[in-house]
Amino acid sequence: MENALLVGVSRQMALRREMDVIANNVANINTNGFKARSVRFAEHVQPVAKAETFPNRDKRVSFVVDRGTPIDLSTGMVERTGNPLDAAVRGDAYFTVQLGNGQTRYTRDGGFEINSRGQMVTQGGLRVVGENGPIEISTNETGVRIAEDGTVLTDQGNRGKLRLARFANPRDLRNEGSNLFSSVAPAQPAGPQARVETGVIERSNVKPVLEMSRLIEVQRAYASISSMVGRTDELRRDAIRRLADLQS
Amino acid sequence: MRALYTAATGMMAQELNVQVISNNIANVRTNGYKRQRVHFQDLLYEHLRRAGSATSDQGTQVPAGTFVGSGVKTVATGRVMGQGNLTQTDKEYDLSVRGDGFFRVRMPDGRTAYTRDGSFDLDSQGQLVTKDGYIVEPGINVPQNARSVSISSSGQVQALIPGQTAPQDLGQIQLSRFVNRVGLESVGDNLFVETAGSGPAIDGNPGGEGFGSVQQSYLEESNVNAVVEISSLIAAQRAYEMNSRVISASDQMMQATSQMFRG
Repeated sequence: MENALLVGVSRQMALRREMDVIANNVANINTNGFKARSVRFAEHVQPVAKAETFPNRDKRVSFVVDRGTPIDLSTGMVERTGNPLDAAVRGDAYFTVQLGNGQTRYTRDGGFEINSRGQMVTQGGLRVVGENGPIEISTNETGVRIAEDGTVLTDQGNRGKLRLARFANPRDLRNEGSNLFSSVAPAQPAGPQARVETGVIERSNVKPVLEMSRLIEVQRAYASISSMVGRTDELRRDAIRRLADLQS
Repeated sequence: MRALYTAATGMMAQELNVQVISNNIANVRTNGYKRQRVHFQDLLYEHLRRAGSATSDQGTQVPAGTFVGSGVKTVATGRVMGQGNLTQTDKEYDLSVRGDGFFRVRMPDGRTAYTRDGSFDLDSQGQLVTKDGYIVEPGINVPQNARSVSISSSGQVQALIPGQTAPQDLGQIQLSRFVNRVGLESVGDNLFVETAGSGPAIDGNPGGEGFGSVQQSYLEESNVNAVVEISSLIAAQRAYEMNSRVISASDQMMQATSQMFRG
């Protein structure tokens, strides 16, 4: 009888985890370049000692565990902003940026700016990396724009090409926060099929309808499992009372 | 439950989004106003089960790890410095910049501010001033008897003085540009001031590379597009509602937990 309670708890824990993931998706509904995550559950069969010689054999007890939060890598809605330094990647590739300590990170958020030193940076101030190192212009250059192949141009010519990275297994990407991903496996150069679109920005790929339906589903499933756990408890209380009655 | 706090960060972010959008809409008819845009980033993630970690001695690996994020943060409310439309006004001291430059204005406290709003006038001494009476640098003095003041696209101010045949030079309007215009700080009254983020002002005459040209008798409207703002407002409002829905759902889940065992 304790099993019912524990199986219920495992389901409740998993649902809470799913709720956390939904909450994060909904919170980032307006975050540029954000990729939604979902939750995948798995059955965990409890390896217990079994009594199989009785006429009514013990049944295996299985619990719920959350096995992973797979990332949805679909392209988000592309919004036209008209800003010449806004860029979006068309295709399965990522912009490369550099942290202050020289480490490399990847992002789909292409809201770039030129800072006071002439460096091309993200909204978070991280330097944008090109094929030949971080992209930089001198402070007297004007008319900065990004061409469709990712080349950064000014009125005085070519200032480098944005490095687009591709991954053999993009599902291995780790979220680092601040719209950044990191990868254990080395990035490969994106092929010519990856293009940069300028004057547009890639919005979040969170699908509100999907998230709201999952939200309701989680909420109802949680309520029903809670009531099941509650009934199991009532059953036990009832049993204790009746058994005690008999004895007196 | 983490979902509660995550949704709270979402609500705060959308609240700020609505604030910025409403400020844009409020300034839809402000000359030289540049619309603001909020940039969000996701917050830290908890890595509960790393992708690529081994699941057996045979080298099998976890294909997709378990990452739970903790919400959203605002990273910047940058201005979109695109050109606004020019409208004709027929006033001789209404100026607009077509290009990246800013007019320089001396504020009463001696600091220099920069503006795209070129609705200037003369004060009692004949100085070219903004609508607030701040002097437009480097200072143009128009004599009282001057007639038909003309300002060329390169910023040269000329006027006809009675008794003279050739137009007289009254001075030169200068513009300033910045490496990072988005880094300018807004101080209200359509004015911006220089910051470490914008870099130092680069002064020059209109018509020079990167400064843009001056148009007399035209004013630059704000670059707010009402349709875009209203659709962003609707999106922000719905996003706010959805976040509050997450909070109420989490609340009901906690309520279900507390009512599991009835005494």
